[in-house]
Amino acid sequence: METTQQNEQVVTTIQKLIDNIETVIKGKRDQIQFVLTALLAKGHILMEDNPGTGKTVMAKTLAHSVAGGAGDVQFKRIQFTPDLLPMDLIGSHIFDENKKDFVFKKGPLFCHFLLADEINRASPKVQSALLECMAENQITIGETTYPLEKLFFTIATQNPVETEGTYPLPTAQLDRFFIKIYFGYVDEQTELDIYNDYLGIQNNISKVKQVISLEEIIHLQNETEKVFIHEELVVAVRNLIRATRSHPEITLGASTRSGITFLKCLKAFAMVNGRMYVTEDDLARLAPPVLDHRLIYRSKEGRQKALGQILAKELDRLRRLNLQSQGTFMA
Amino acid sequence: MKPGQYHTLKKTVYRLLLLVILTVLFICFFLKRVNAYYAILGNGWISQTIYFAIGCTTAVFVFRYRFRFFTLSAALALFLAILYQIIQQVSFGEFDSFHAAIRFYVFSILFLVGWLSGYGFSRSRFVTIFWSALLLLSEIALISRTSDITVSSLISGLIPVLVYCFYCIYTAELIRNVSEEEARFSFFIGKRLVWFTLLILVFLVGLLTLFKSEFQAVEKQWGGGKAQNKEGNGGSNSESMTQKDKNGGIQNKDQTKLSGSLSKDKSLVFVARLDNFFENTKIPNPLYFTSHYYTRFDTLTQTFEVDDSLPHNDLFKPDPSKIPLYFKESDTSMISASLGTLDRKVITADIYKVNLSPESFVAPSTAFYCQPISVPEEYKKEYRSAYTAKMWVSELNSAYFIYNPAGNMELEKFQELRFAKLREVTRIQSPDKAFERYYTFMPSNPEYKRIAALSKKITADAEAPIDKILAIRDYFLSKDEFNQPLFSYSDNPGVPGIPSASKLNYFLFENRKGYCAYYAGATLFMLRSLGIPSRLAAGFLATDRSSKNPGWYWFYADQAHAWVQVYFQGYGWIDFDTTVPDVNTRQAPQPDGTPPSEVPATYLVMDGEVTAIDTIKKTLELSTTKMLYHDTEFVAPANREVLTDVSLARIINDTGTVSLGFVKTGMRVTLVSRAEALKTIYTRSSDNFDAILERLPARVPVDEVKVLVKPEQKQKKEEKQKKSTQPVNWLNILYTTLITLVILTCIVFLLPFLIWLYMRVLAQSKNNATERKAFFRHRALLYYLNQMDYSAYGMGPQSFAQRMDKTMGTELERFMSVYQKLKYGTQPLLLQEKDQIETAFSSNLKRIKKFIPLTKRVGAFFSVGRTLQFFIKPR
Repeated sequence: METTQQNEQVVTTIQKLIDNIETVIKGKRDQIQFVLTALLAKGHILMEDNPGTGKTVMAKTLAHSVAGGAGDVQFKRIQFTPDLLPMDLIGSHIFDENKKDFVFKKGPLFCHFLLADEINRASPKVQSALLECMAENQITIGETTYPLEKLFFTIATQNPVETEGTYPLPTAQLDRFFIKIYFGYVDEQTELDIYNDYLGIQNNISKVKQVISLEEIIHLQNETEKVFIHEELVVAVRNLIRATRSHPEITLGASTRSGITFLKCLKAFAMVNGRMYVTEDDLARLAPPVLDHRLIYRSKEGRQKALGQILAKELDRLRRLNLQSQGTFMA
Repeated sequence: MKPGQYHTLKKTVYRLLLLVILTVLFICFFLKRVNAYYAILGNGWISQTIYFAIGCTTAVFVFRYRFRFFTLSAALALFLAILYQIIQQVSFGEFDSFHAAIRFYVFSILFLVGWLSGYGFSRSRFVTIFWSALLLLSEIALISRTSDITVSSLISGLIPVLVYCFYCIYTAELIRNVSEEEARFSFFIGKRLVWFTLLILVFLVGLLTLFKSEFQAVEKQWGGGKAQNKEGNGGSNSESMTQKDKNGGIQNKDQTKLSGSLSKDKSLVFVARLDNFFENTKIPNPLYFTSHYYTRFDTLTQTFEVDDSLPHNDLFKPDPSKIPLYFKESDTSMISASLGTLDRKVITADIYKVNLSPESFVAPSTAFYCQPISVPEEYKKEYRSAYTAKMWVSELNSAYFIYNPAGNMELEKFQELRFAKLREVTRIQSPDKAFERYYTFMPSNPEYKRIAALSKKITADAEAPIDKILAIRDYFLSKDEFNQPLFSYSDNPGVPGIPSASKLNYFLFENRKGYCAYYAGATLFMLRSLGIPSRLAAGFLATDRSSKNPGWYWFYADQAHAWVQVYFQGYGWIDFDTTVPDVNTRQAPQPDGTPPSEVPATYLVMDGEVTAIDTIKKTLELSTTKMLYHDTEFVAPANREVLTDVSLARIINDTGTVSLGFVKTGMRVTLVSRAEALKTIYTRSSDNFDAILERLPARVPVDEVKVLVKPEQKQKKEEKQKKSTQPVNWLNILYTTLITLVILTCIVFLLPFLIWLYMRVLAQSKNNATERKAFFRHRALLYYLNQMDYSAYGMGPQSFAQRMDKTMGTELERFMSVYQKLKYGTQPLLLQEKDQIETAFSSNLKRIKKFIPLTKRVGAFFSVGRTLQFFIKPR
């Protein structure tokens, strides 16, 4: 019974968070869910879309929703430009007149929520510096290692690769992002609503309620591990990952690491949806945002079809399963 | 597709496979027919087909690319014309040049025709229609050239063209309209084509079977009756008075159906010698030869049938092939059963069978005796077997009864005498009640009332039964107001407009044309309505054609006949024939042959089983108990062994001469000896079997060995023959295949629904645990939706349910989420969640049904493809 209560608590917390964000970001429930999934899975998210679709607002709202608790929640935004240097991110040693020594001046990476805007406009050097930090959760300069914040969540955005002045992220680095989503335009009605109420929305951004504390988020992150995943679904994940490696339209399949990432995301996603167990639908909905950006396709058509085929086949298999063996816990 | 192309290779290949190949095949068939009518083509239909095929295939390939039709075709025609001129100029010799030029001319024409059709297939949709019209017109032109238009020639000519035209137009359109991106291109096309073909087939077969009789009736009316004489025009609505037995022999049928037409052939059936002459004269008196009595009439099928249970059965039916040669079978009870005592006498007849089947026995009524005899050596080829028959015949019977004494005073006098005698019988009294009931039975249908009324009208003035019969005869012979005969003979009387109408009524009151069975049948019912006991006899009518061999009669197949027999107390059954004259049967189809000469005297006949046979020494040992010696029969008390010399003997069975090797021990044989050595050994009255045996030479010389096939052996043989010679009934096979196909299609198309029923039963079963229930319900719902063309493929169950909920207003998502929890979760279900599983199935089903109209749902269940998609795992 205790677990049930806890679960309910978790569910309500997440629901509050989602609702809170939705007061600002209209008609983007799916995207909000994915962002939170990445957050709870202790990963990072990459959002790709044209400018002006609400990516930045999303990151801001999320950061503002989190209450400071012990210290202020730090939200930093870096606008990536071609002339940005790693130092601008990490920080640098500055000579301190008083101490007569070089002291480390922390860069914007030392924060809880980082919005890395237009990440693909920066040079590869900068990109890789950022991605390394994301992977290691720490920065080593010279002999000193500086740990990042316990909660370090990056929301990176990138313009569509085709636009001018971009340095496309290499696949190996894209792998660091747990989830990559397309933000997309809102539907007709929502867009109209937004136009009718743009003042209100802007007000909302500044007045976003703090509905969750950092600790709570960290707690949720830890809770995520407890989400139950059925072994058939693990098998399904394995099948999916392996199928990407042998599909004729895919030249580079998913790695084992992406499999693990997928599992983490599945659990987080289930929790975001208020469940303590993973379902087929989670698999169906998460597979594209988690896997798609890790694969290299042979052709454009392949990009559109291949993952869908693999997923459909696996879903078909799962649907046929008649899992009755675990009837023991049934009252 | 490359820019220069009009079609992809895929479509071109399909055109080639589905259209061009069939077209070439059809053209092959068509050209073959054309060649039969036009000599100029010189019967080279194979090469002509190839010319066409080249033209067609080239066009299909060329027009795959973006060529212009008119420029290209004009260039081609010009090129061919120039080539034609060159060939005319270059060839040596006048004949050569003509020949080569003609061939090239034919080639060019056919090539261009093929080219045109190929263009039509790949580019223009109208050309196929023109092409079909062209073919149809040419086919009609061809048919108009045939001299004898029959339904079958019309059908066989037009149907293939029609089928081809439908096919061609349909397929060309199909290939044109199917998207090349369609993933299952071939499946799609294949499916459509199979459907189309089935439809056409069903349509045509249905049309043909439905209207076949009508077609044929039309054909007959327009004088197309020629086909009647062709053998084996099976399935037509014609009837024959005889039937073929297994060995190809002819025998009278044991039933005869009234039908639209009678088929006849002119083969010789048998030859008979009848020692029946008018009293104290040398004028032969022919008698009708009876084979069966039809005493029963099936009103439903309008068929006269043999009934074995007739009272006072006087039909003697031995099987001559089973009686040993020279031994006799007789049944003198027939004499009393004939019920005739006045003016009766015994006469003999020798019947030599030609095409008459070995088992058949025909003789004038009333026969009571049968003795197979051997056919003289020199006639063996002509006559297969022979027997002597004895009959208890009425002196009042004669084939001359009705017709045409031809001014012969003797005959006229005889007829008058007969009538006078029969006139003495003023009221016919049946021997007993059963007899009367049986032989005056009339069906109670209203049609027969009409016959009865007619009969009463005709015979109003007649008193004595014989006068009534004559009145009926005279009615058939009477003339109408235009002094034309009221009734006429016709082998093809046609059928009444309504198939189930009474043919007899149609004959009597409307058509007034018919063959013997019609006249006899009508007479029968007219007589019976008057209370005169009568029956139908079937057999052969005898005509005396030859003055060369008095007493010999030739019987041809078209003399098979039916007539009426009337019972007169004291005189027994008397033949009456009321069929109006048909000139054709009066004349023999061929000059009669010479009768077989007298059989040489036979001294010894033995009948028994073969115990040993030596094919080298040509001896045969017989175990026998029966012996005919100088016409005296001896019977031994026990089996005796007799050694015989068969070196000069002819071995025969009932189909012809066989070799000695055919004879096996254990067979029953009859040995006949005409050896001079036996002539002188006379018999004494005190002799018995053994005494004769002692007097015979050590090796009895035998002239003839007749092998009798044992009944069981015969049966086996018959079965074997049945097996081996039974013709394959293709129509039957076609029907069976069609029915099977229809049943299979039904099953296939009912399959989705049956599966649904099964799934629903599973889903609604009450005993299941919750998970099982949830699973089955989830599956049943998915199946139902899948059948309605809402496939969940590629979607998670909840997202699918969400989508369905949006379109149909169902509440599937809640059910699905509970199901998912049940499937993958670890926590127990809440109470309302369990409720959800209980109630969701039927309520959601209701909503789905409400959303999709009934007709669409019914239609959706016929889609087997979707069912397959649901069950087949994706590759």
